[in-house]
Amino acid sequence: MEISSLSLRARAVVEGFMSGLHRSPRTGFSTEFTEYRQYSPGDDVRFLDWKVMARTDREFIKKFEDETNLRCTFMVDFSKSMEFGGDDAGVKKSDYGRTFAASLSWFLTQQRDAVGLATFDRDVREFIPPRYRQDQLKTILGRLETQPAGNATDLCQALEKLASLVGKRGMIVLVSDFLSPLDEMERCLSLFTAAGHDVRAVQVLHPREVDFDFEDAAIFEDMESGRNLILDPGMAREAYQQKYNAHNAALDAMFSAQGIPGFRVTTTEPLERVLQRFLEERPARAVVRQRRSNARNAA
Amino acid sequence: MSFLTPLYLLGALGLAIPIILHLLHDRPKNKQEFGSLMFLDKTKPPVDRKRRPTHLLLLLLRCLALLLLAFVFARPFVTVDDPADAALRDRQWITVLLDRSASMQRADLWAQAKAGVQTTLGQLGPGDRFTLIAYDDSTELLAEVQSWLGSSSGAEVNAQLERLAKPGFGGSNLGQALVLAGESIEGDEPGADELETDEQPLARREIIVISDLQKGSRLGDMQGYEWPTGIKVRLEQIGEDDQGNAGIEQVASRSPWAAAEAVPSFRISNSVSGIGDELEFLAHTTAGETLSQKVHVPPGRSRVVELPGEWADKSVERLAIRGDAAEFDNQFHFAQNRQQTVRIVYIGEDKPNDAEGSLFYLASAFQQSSTLDFQVEAVSGKSSGPLPEADLFVIGDAVDDSLAQALGQAIEGGATVLMVVQSSGQAANLGQWLGADGVVIRDIASSDYALLQSLKLDHPVLAVFRDARFSDFTNLHFWKHRELQNLPDEGIDVLARFDSGPPAWLAARRGRLLVMTSGWKPGDSQLALSTKFIPLLYSILQPVLEGKTQSRQFVVGSEVDVTRFNNDQAGGGVTVMPPGDGAAAISVDTIFTPPAPGLYTAKGAGWSETFAVNLKAAESRTEPIVMDQFKKLGLPMTDLVASPGEIAAAAAAAEKTEAHRREYWQWALAAVLLFVTLETVLAARGSRPAEPVMIT
Repeated sequence: MEISSLSLRARAVVEGFMSGLHRSPRTGFSTEFTEYRQYSPGDDVRFLDWKVMARTDREFIKKFEDETNLRCTFMVDFSKSMEFGGDDAGVKKSDYGRTFAASLSWFLTQQRDAVGLATFDRDVREFIPPRYRQDQLKTILGRLETQPAGNATDLCQALEKLASLVGKRGMIVLVSDFLSPLDEMERCLSLFTAAGHDVRAVQVLHPREVDFDFEDAAIFEDMESGRNLILDPGMAREAYQQKYNAHNAALDAMFSAQGIPGFRVTTTEPLERVLQRFLEERPARAVVRQRRSNARNAA
Repeated sequence: MSFLTPLYLLGALGLAIPIILHLLHDRPKNKQEFGSLMFLDKTKPPVDRKRRPTHLLLLLLRCLALLLLAFVFARPFVTVDDPADAALRDRQWITVLLDRSASMQRADLWAQAKAGVQTTLGQLGPGDRFTLIAYDDSTELLAEVQSWLGSSSGAEVNAQLERLAKPGFGGSNLGQALVLAGESIEGDEPGADELETDEQPLARREIIVISDLQKGSRLGDMQGYEWPTGIKVRLEQIGEDDQGNAGIEQVASRSPWAAAEAVPSFRISNSVSGIGDELEFLAHTTAGETLSQKVHVPPGRSRVVELPGEWADKSVERLAIRGDAAEFDNQFHFAQNRQQTVRIVYIGEDKPNDAEGSLFYLASAFQQSSTLDFQVEAVSGKSSGPLPEADLFVIGDAVDDSLAQALGQAIEGGATVLMVVQSSGQAANLGQWLGADGVVIRDIASSDYALLQSLKLDHPVLAVFRDARFSDFTNLHFWKHRELQNLPDEGIDVLARFDSGPPAWLAARRGRLLVMTSGWKPGDSQLALSTKFIPLLYSILQPVLEGKTQSRQFVVGSEVDVTRFNNDQAGGGVTVMPPGDGAAAISVDTIFTPPAPGLYTAKGAGWSETFAVNLKAAESRTEPIVMDQFKKLGLPMTDLVASPGEIAAAAAAAEKTEAHRREYWQWALAAVLLFVTLETVLAARGSRPAEPVMIT
């Protein structure tokens, strides 16, 4: 994180990553697929499958996945809790997350994919719809470079809003620490998965949040709510880790139920490796398709 | 060590302040921002081990400083007994009133009381004056020490105290004892010039009452007694844990001669704090038999129990109750009244069965009762025999000289004579008995009836009609009456007059000779048939009846007139046998004061009479007196405001005691200052950081 400019940083990451990319045979997620849907009046007749119609005497619409490039929307958590870190123990979570988003944007733009950005804390702060344009990357990097100043995170509320904003089906990369109650989150995430988005979650954590390796007793202040708690970390550590692990386990279970690949990274992890892991992950489409067929069967 | 203003010691509660502040001080100062506290719970306040010793020392110093400050304000002192000063000490006069009434026999009250006296003795210093008075119904000076000389005086008092092995059986007249003690102190006040030069004035006069202060104590004497200034009364109550007590007393019948069948009845009372409500009522007969019956008396109530008929036949000598906490008052000695004979002699010519005469009504007026047997005897006025003995002579006709003479002597000797004037022939008799010549009896001829007026209702004979309900005599018509003329001016009391003016009823010779100018026979008046007749006769007889029906029940300490058992005739000395075997007989002239309960026997020449003596019923009321009562009676429980001279003397005495006092507050104050200085130094050092703090 020595490079201060986000664009430079992104480029450095991507370039380093690209050099190793050739070794991997599994790339690309810009795939297509089709499906049939019964024709209903108003559908474009151009898409009627005449062959099937001839064979079965029924009208089916042949649906295509966008033939265009991948549409990827980064949703980056700009809440206060992401500001944790920045000391000797590692970079800030927000810096890490923004760099990740910037790097991936750069990479996708280079692949001529459409990239969009949404930043949120309690609410959606900024939304740039995915486009492939010359200055799109610049805009995105510029927005990412503004300092997060949000307060509390309400992931759910933000996601609900974004679900109405993000139109066409595409990839959604959710960058957050996911350190908020999970009660409503599954429902909100399902708004995207149900709409057929390929949702991927990147959970950015600071090593201290993982290990809770504070030594001295101190007044711990919640960065979002400002709540104070006097703590002896030695005494609180065990309970913290128990709760932390339980939270993550619940989160993982939720992701897998929604068919969302989740990536848990700490800010000390090299970004290139994270990018590689991310791109190597199989698209979750199989799960999506599976669920759709299930839904059809049920109907 | 004592404190002048001990309330300031409450300031020591301020110790909580530094302790709380020190606890607050232990909170960590550094702040740590953290992403989310959602996984964190509050833990116990962390302890900073490194700085603890310094803190403890500071805490200790601050606490000590506060403690000493409270101590300084409370002004501690130690009174020093300097032997050289002892002689110059203020003299005090302590009067101890020791209760020796019967109620002190309960449990170990007497031992406690004696211990109380010993405690008081221990507080006396050389030169003090000490008086020990024991009281029950009366007071007795047990010991008097003018100038206390330590152990030798103590032995003297103790010897007197030992003489009182047990409390007596008397009641408690606390009021009398207190007033007596107050008066003796007041009366013994020495003038300033009477004091010897080396003698200190008495600075303090205190009366200490050592008693169970039972409710049955009499306080009446204190009413209206003005306590002299400078006396303080201290009540030392013993036996406060009153467990309740039940008592028994005989219920006095209202008019023993009027009740036909008077069954003795007894009031059994249970005190409010009584331990149970089921008591046993026992009777011991002379034959050694014990009869018993359950009586239900709830605490705080009393119940009147009649002696059951089958018991009365068995000559009961002692009654008892069982089932309460205190035993001392559970026995009741009982002497049953014997039937007494009242002799009435009618002197006249009437036939006993003649309904037109006076005798017939006289004989019918008196009814037999269990206590009284009336014998009415008729004697002719012309009889030459001797005058029979009688309690009442009723004269209805003229009496011959010899009989008149005897009657005159009887009147002189105290006999009661009722003379009904029915004929002018009685004038000579009347003149003789009144000691007046020329008395004339004149018949008043009138076609109309006469009524009584100007009744002298405050005369003993008519006192029974004093109540407005009974004082109406207008229904009483007199058909015939006589007028007495030439009566002497003096010695005659007109009790009633007829509405025409002449006297109707007269009393002469100090009330012993009663004269009626109209009789009760139907020819004279309606008196015999009116409701006034019988009360009037009983009222005339009352002095006789009182003597005859004298109760044989007495209480300890009361004055028993033994001659009354034999119709006021001492007859050459009476001996009284106290209860118990082998008790020596006591020779008594007239008045005997029984010292203990029991059945006593009075013996005279040819007669003997048993009488019972019991405890005073008030002694059974053992619950303590409410202290407010003493305040209401003006008992100086605290020092009364004294005259200016006495105030000055008291101030001087206080100054003197202050000189004997050694106070330490200055030293404590110095220590406070020292601790505060030390604390400041230590706190300054502690607040300087020992090592550089890393700034993050």
